[in-house]
Amino acid sequence: MPLLKLENVTKRFGGLVAVDKVSLEIQAGELIGIVGPNGSGKTTLFNVINGVYPPEEGKVFFDGKNITRLPAYKRAPLGLGRTFQIPRPFGSASVRENVAIGAMFGTLADKVSVDDSLEIADRYIELVGLEPHKDKEAGTLTPVEKKMMEIARALAMRPKLLLMDEAMAGMNPKDIDDMVKFLKRIKDEENIAIVSMVEHIMRAVAGLAERVMVMNQGAKLIDAKTEEALTDPRVVEVYLGHPTDKSKWRSEVWKEGKDWDE
Amino acid sequence: MKNTISKYYPLIPVFAAYLIMFIIGFFMPGMWQMVALLAFYCALGQSWNIFMGMTGYVDFGYVTFIALGTYGMSLGISYFSQFEWLGIGILVIGLILALFLASLSALLEAFIALRLRGAYFAIACIGINEGLRYFIEGAKIWGGSEGMIFFGALMQAFGKETVNQLTTFWADFSVFIIAALAAFLNMHYMRSKIGYALTAVREDEDAAKVMGINTTKYKTIAFLTSGLLGAGVGAMAWGLKLGHVYPGDVFVIHYTVECIVVVLLGGAGTLLGPVIGGLIYGLSKYWLAVIMPGFQLLIFAPIIIIIIVAAPEGVVGLLKRRLKGTQLEMFIE
Ligand SMILES: Nc1ncnc2c1ncn2[C@@H]1O[C@H](COP(=O)(O)OP(=O)(O)OP(=O)(O)O)[C@@H](O)[C@H]1O
Ligand SMILES: [Mg+2]
Repeated sequence: MPLLKLENVTKRFGGLVAVDKVSLEIQAGELIGIVGPNGSGKTTLFNVINGVYPPEEGKVFFDGKNITRLPAYKRAPLGLGRTFQIPRPFGSASVRENVAIGAMFGTLADKVSVDDSLEIADRYIELVGLEPHKDKEAGTLTPVEKKMMEIARALAMRPKLLLMDEAMAGMNPKDIDDMVKFLKRIKDEENIAIVSMVEHIMRAVAGLAERVMVMNQGAKLIDAKTEEALTDPRVVEVYLGHPTDKSKWRSEVWKEGKDWDE
Repeated sequence: MKNTISKYYPLIPVFAAYLIMFIIGFFMPGMWQMVALLAFYCALGQSWNIFMGMTGYVDFGYVTFIALGTYGMSLGISYFSQFEWLGIGILVIGLILALFLASLSALLEAFIALRLRGAYFAIACIGINEGLRYFIEGAKIWGGSEGMIFFGALMQAFGKETVNQLTTFWADFSVFIIAALAAFLNMHYMRSKIGYALTAVREDEDAAKVMGINTTKYKTIAFLTSGLLGAGVGAMAWGLKLGHVYPGDVFVIHYTVECIVVVLLGGAGTLLGPVIGGLIYGLSKYWLAVIMPGFQLLIFAPIIIIIIVAAPEGVVGLLKRRLKGTQLEMFIE
């Protein structure tokens, strides 16, 4: 049984079809990348998965349960954790309190006290390297620190599936490499499936994902093993706007780990 | 265990302040009236803070709870004072009615208004307050616009001496108790999951939902707590103390504004804030009324605006910053 299953999910905003009949299956413990140009519907897909709004058509199953109409706050305790593209810290609360909130209302919600949650928070804060900033107000962190805090907060929820919306945007190559290593380790240690959405940071997609789904204009363009997906002529065309020689693409962009934008 | 107790240390300065106020009022001749006024503002500020301070929602209709509390007590005394054998039970019935009416309206408002955000919420609450007032006046229930006068009923049930004690001491004393209870609940919520949930609601309600927080549930808990405490203040400080109630006197938004000022002066969402705010507000109002009767608002309004602009986090916000890293830090919240 897949951990997450999307069946022909469609989400419209007025006349705009933001997500167009997307089907997807994710197994427990998988590492999947979602890529696609700006406005291709990645964030909207995440919003449908974790219940920010229901889809107009299609179904969402999590752990075998139909959660299509379940409110967002009931999904987190089932094991759906998430980070936001534009970080959304609880600004006036400390980093420690932010991460503790994750522990308090995530899958452990019924089992942990406030004190337990603060302890769990300390562990994940250390893990993402935010220890020196633990008692700072989350609103005062730098953008990259905020992203790290969100990862800690989502991990403290002890999710089965972690949705990361461009968590690595704005990081330098070294940080990205560290992050990729970190996520792989976490995935193995905690047996979490991670869906990482990366807009165009090739380095991150290539290093992290075992499988990649490429979206274009709301629809699923391809869903395949990472290398296969990223070298598919259709994908290359979507990104560059014109077809290109596969070997050139591979040597220049893909292997050197540059951004597709460059 | 020690750890658990030390988490409640910030209650110490609050309770100390209430105790000092009480002692001053009780032992210094002529001071009781002023101290009672201060306790009234502290209690209201503290009660209001539980909802607005913690969630960031501004409830302009808060006075509805105080008003309904007053009505509950008034109804209890008016209708049950004929059963003399009930004794002090009459007041208990009055308090229960006060809490009952306030819960009804809290749940109604939670159902209607808590779904709204920001200005819409504030306006909906004002609407409910005005609606209730005109309903009472128009439908002529509970005495309509003439209100209820039950001082005589009190006299009949308790006798002159007891009534005198009730209205000049016990009514005010119970406001102190409510203020202390409100402070305790405020502190307790801050230290429990409720407080963390409400902080998340205040900062980013949609993100809070995604993090697994049932925002409606926690907002309703805070709203109900805050409303019931307010109703208690109304029942005692207005109902029992005055012996009458007129709709035009109690459903008045002005009192909500006073609560807001008290909380903002002291520091919204803090524990000590409403106490400090209540003291500053109550004292200045009292003195200005003595020195310059009639002009107090003229002087008062700009002073308040200056303080709020200069210290947007309130006095306690400034204090916390000052004390950061010192031994005293754990006593201020
Ligand atoms: N709440 C909304 N209301 C109306 N339109 C929306 C809303 N959210 C997204 N859209 C539109 O839906 C489309 C998909 O947007 P989405 O944010 O999902 O794309 P994305 O792939 O995450 O893009 P990006 O790489 O810029 O983050 C866009 O055209 C966007 O303008
Ligand atoms: Mg996006």
